[in-house]
Amino acid sequence: MIERKKECISMLLAGGQGSRLYVLTENTAKPAVPFGGKYRIIDFSLSNCVNSGIDTVGILTQYQPLELNDYIGNGQPWDLNRNFGGAHVLPPYTKTKNNQWYKGTANAIYQNIPFIERYQPEYVLILSGDHIYKMDYNKMLQFHKDKGSECTIAVITVSPDDATRMGIMSTDENQAIVDFEEKPAHPKSNQASMGVYIFTWAALKKYLIADEADPKSENDFGKNVIPAFLRDGRPMYAYPFEGYWKDVGTLDSLWDANMDLLDPNDPLDMRDPHSKIYARNYASPSTLISASSKVSNSFITEGCQIKGTIENSVLYTGCVVEEGAVVSGTVLMPNTIVRKGSTVNYAIIGEQCVIEENVTIGARPEDSVGENWGISVVGHKKTIPSGTVIKPKEIV
Amino acid sequence: MKMCGIIFSEMYSDELNAFTHDRNMAAIPYGGRYRLVDFALSNMVNSGITSVGVLAKQHYHSLMTHLGNTQEWDLNRKNGGLQIIPPYASESLNHANRGKLDELRNALDFLREDTSPYVVMADAHVICNMDYRPVLESHMKSGCDITVVGTPNTQNNDTTYKAVMQTDENMRVTSYALDHVPQPGDYCGMSTMVIDRQVLIDTVMEFTARGIYFLERDFIQSRFNSGELSINLYPFEEPVLRVNSIESYFSSNMALLDENISGSLFRPDRPIYTRVNDEVPSHYGMNCNIADCIIADGCILDGNAENSVISRSVRIAKNATVKNCIIMQGSVIGEGALLENVIVDKWATISAGSQLKGLATAPVIIRKGVTV
Repeated sequence: MIERKKECISMLLAGGQGSRLYVLTENTAKPAVPFGGKYRIIDFSLSNCVNSGIDTVGILTQYQPLELNDYIGNGQPWDLNRNFGGAHVLPPYTKTKNNQWYKGTANAIYQNIPFIERYQPEYVLILSGDHIYKMDYNKMLQFHKDKGSECTIAVITVSPDDATRMGIMSTDENQAIVDFEEKPAHPKSNQASMGVYIFTWAALKKYLIADEADPKSENDFGKNVIPAFLRDGRPMYAYPFEGYWKDVGTLDSLWDANMDLLDPNDPLDMRDPHSKIYARNYASPSTLISASSKVSNSFITEGCQIKGTIENSVLYTGCVVEEGAVVSGTVLMPNTIVRKGSTVNYAIIGEQCVIEENVTIGARPEDSVGENWGISVVGHKKTIPSGTVIKPKEIV
Repeated sequence: MKMCGIIFSEMYSDELNAFTHDRNMAAIPYGGRYRLVDFALSNMVNSGITSVGVLAKQHYHSLMTHLGNTQEWDLNRKNGGLQIIPPYASESLNHANRGKLDELRNALDFLREDTSPYVVMADAHVICNMDYRPVLESHMKSGCDITVVGTPNTQNNDTTYKAVMQTDENMRVTSYALDHVPQPGDYCGMSTMVIDRQVLIDTVMEFTARGIYFLERDFIQSRFNSGELSINLYPFEEPVLRVNSIESYFSSNMALLDENISGSLFRPDRPIYTRVNDEVPSHYGMNCNIADCIIADGCILDGNAENSVISRSVRIAKNATVKNCIIMQGSVIGEGALLENVIVDKWATISAGSQLKGLATAPVIIRKGVTV
């Protein structure tokens, strides 16, 4: 029997807890956190796959998967409802011999070897569902083939300061990786891993099995598998990526990335009709902007009702801002209500919150004293009673 | 599953021919992100109907593109689902409007294959958010041959309605007039009715065989007058917008700015579904000035807009002003342009500095794809 094959399939690591997002990931996995008005973080990786012609995506979930499972559904919003391939949510499952959670990123892939083998791929693309970027993985795959690589890691140029917090690659003039350091105190290069890997499947499979057999291994790509490839002198290359890429793993970076959408130069190229970011859509009507409102420099999604003042903000589907309320430098996640007389400055407000009347949240940096300034954050489904004051940097 | 649905997508009027030039009535854009058909279709879906036939006659390509595989309405089903029912090319195509019975003849296969005891029929150009289940309940309780839905005529205005009815205290229709001016206390028909499926099949076959084609006049009114047909009226008290002229199209769009109307049409428990376009959220520029507007996704707004409906992916450049306008998908309003009482169809370009002014009762219409 001749079996059907896929040249390249993608495995998306979506099990991360995202603990540095605090209240925003209390009941949901990081990839399901809303981003950019109508998206969730995972939409970017998923849409990149589809726009790169990769139609088989295994989505590995572990932490609080309910919302994410629901969100992915049959993959239809991303055109990933396929007869052969498509989107598959892969949680850890019970096996005959031993039951275990995903111990690390490499173990998560190891446990899903049977899933990958169903498609008999030449290459496997490993992604993490917590970055905001647009990338054509096909170009990277071509690079991988041209170089005769077994492991290709996408890299981006970062500042020396950022380099100390990331996986740093040193390469020769051919882009071959000669050294790899995880969070080095004294980085040797400014090329940081984006958490996007292409492996030749035969090679990766061998290394995953060996890694699993090593009781001392943490079963992690960055800590174990990639160093092992390097140690054995396997052909490894760094694929330089130019363009917008942001890790939204912290509250500050999540806020920053939302604010980047307001840049009229559109660094993320959101409006390119050939690389749309797809998302599950909810049936909400067009946004109503009333005469009492004042809106400037903002991103507002369908389904909102705006009567107050909105500036430098990103509003998700279904937000209501009542007359006299002021929302500035703020991210309002879906279906949040800001009632009359309330002021929200430099904040992230979670989904389905109600900010009652005359509440003050956050402050402008210029109005606050020195060190204490930072964005304020309100978690999902919170009601903030009338007259409450939430200080800058406070997390509720 | 007690009902199947039929939607009439044509209206047979030249009143809106500026928009129906290359699309049928059902596919006319509305409210920034909808097409007229979305309302009747969503109402059916929200009433638990899983088998819907959309009758199309002319220019229905745009409607087909809009409905696609009907996934957005959850009608991509193995059993039932949505069927677009075009005319039998050999027969009815060459005829102008011959009436709803004629159109229903094309739907006979659809009606025969269905197993629901009842059929609900609705017009695509009547905009409302309605649950058809209580209508069916009222129909079954009444024991009448047919149930028609009507709105109470609260003010004495001079608008002519398709069907104007009076009822007794049990909501039995006692007078049925067509193309008539309603008096206070009368009910104005919404072209929405519930009837027994087999009765409809028999009626369509019997009447069309004799060359009789008008549902309201030849069947309902004529049989009612001769005492052979009993009519139950289901009163619908929520807002209803009827689009049957440029003026009513314009006012029906503007009506969405009224929160009572938009609140009734767009209820979270019965959403109105439409085709998803995956547009980016709209970007409101540094110096934009937007007051009383309905705005869809994908727009870039750097100019001024007042009392207008702005559809998906519209661009309003710096210092441009639109006032009392409907701007359809993808149109571009150039720098410094001034538009008042204008309807701009899809993908049109208004050059920088142009000035276009219509009247509220006679808006200027810019056709699809045109550059002004």
